[in-house]
Amino acid sequence: MTDSGLPTSEHLEHLETDTIADLLENLLPAPEAHRAREHVKACPDCQLTYDALLQLSEDLADEGRSDIPMPADVAEHLDAVISAEAVRRASTVGVHSLAQIREEPHRHIPKLLGAAAAVVLIAAVGVGVVMATKDRAGENVANTNPTAILPTGVVSLTTAQIAPQVQQTLEGSSGVVLNASANEVSCAKSFAATRPNPEVRLVQPARIDGTRATILGLQGGSPRDIQVFVLTGCDAGGTTGTSIYDTTVTLRNR
Amino acid sequence: MTAHLDSGTNPPAQLPRIGQHDPVAQQVPVLQHGGYDQLDDHELLRLHVAGNPDTFGFLVKRHRDRMWAVAIRTLGEPEEAADALQEAFISAFRRADSFRGDAKVTTWLHRIVVNACLDRIRRRQVRQADPLPEDEDRAAELAGPVEQDAAEVRERRLDVLNALKQINPDQRSALVLVDMEGYSIEEAASILGCAPGTVKSRCARGRARLLPLLRQWQTTRGGDSDLQDKASETAAGIMGTE
Ligand SMILES: [Zn+2]
Repeated sequence: MTDSGLPTSEHLEHLETDTIADLLENLLPAPEAHRAREHVKACPDCQLTYDALLQLSEDLADEGRSDIPMPADVAEHLDAVISAEAVRRASTVGVHSLAQIREEPHRHIPKLLGAAAAVVLIAAVGVGVVMATKDRAGENVANTNPTAILPTGVVSLTTAQIAPQVQQTLEGSSGVVLNASANEVSCAKSFAATRPNPEVRLVQPARIDGTRATILGLQGGSPRDIQVFVLTGCDAGGTTGTSIYDTTVTLRNR
Repeated sequence: MTAHLDSGTNPPAQLPRIGQHDPVAQQVPVLQHGGYDQLDDHELLRLHVAGNPDTFGFLVKRHRDRMWAVAIRTLGEPEEAADALQEAFISAFRRADSFRGDAKVTTWLHRIVVNACLDRIRRRQVRQADPLPEDEDRAAELAGPVEQDAAEVRERRLDVLNALKQINPDQRSALVLVDMEGYSIEEAASILGCAPGTVKSRCARGRARLLPLLRQWQTTRGGDSDLQDKASETAAGIMGTE
């Protein structure tokens, strides 16, 4: 190897890396390719470059086989956008038929932030109500303020999305979020009354894996813990909720 | 998380514990946790086209790290990559019914992602000649959560991403397709909308540009830092100017 890396008289002139790379891709015209090949054979420096270029392709292939974990914020946002799109589809055509949606002329791709906002909106459409913490003590807080209960959008979620959804909704509020109709709320509250700690933080109508259900959030043991139940039987005028799924969510703040 | 059945009228003495398995839960059809895990890509996509609101999101989750790798390597900038992926996935969501069942879903998705990235590159080239600003903090974050991979894997990943960022986008997209993603020259040519010879040439020039940028990475594995420095000097010397 030369110290300077500059061409030496010993080999007349070194090949440029471009030329060696072209040689490897068979891009050189025959006479030039021949000369280049002879030079590489005779010149250790250029041979080194030649080998390094070969190795580079292999290393890139190696690296290319590995995934790169999507940053959490990007993933979260993407989930939100996809959920919003699913909700949009469901609401546009009642149910399904992609073909119909595709004919719809003025659909738009939600922009990065707009879409996030849209999903938050869906999460808390009409924002049922966010009540001050002090009101929470009142057992029938919803009934004392009827305007607080709005029959709102049904959030469509997978089982895995329940916890993040609850987290997202409650982290934005210090109080009680009641996004359901009065009947659904009261049905959920009857269920809550059977729990050791019946303090209601959230009632959210939802479609979980396709099934109409009610997400009920109860205050857990610590102020940041929310005991989550997914109830069936509280929609459509039902009065007895049955828990089909439960989990605990820990809020990051408050 | 555990699916848990209990009756609202007959409260258990204790709150149910996470991880506690209740055999009755197995009979709940729709809420079995992770039920979609069992479904293959084709089935998820089929259900999506049939109107299931959740399966597409599940498909996205399953493949997002792969697609993120493609987007971030092709575009270099996380913001751009996130935008491109969002466009790609929404587009895939909407035209899922045009998916042909005989292909692999990942191949189809991959192609949509690549096209979304290339669209952005073209738009960016029209818009501006300046390179995008560097963002070192963000770059480090791109290498993924610290606990997830060995330090050397992260370092290597970052080196490649940073080096790719420094070469011309046409060369970069050709190299990502051919060398990193394993597309044939012909496939890459059809994706890029140019002649196979152009793809070869972009790959060759791209490798020549990358070499000095990654030479250190290559020789580091030999463990001789003196040699390393010399090698990159030499490479830089040989490189000359464009
Ligand atoms: Zn030489």
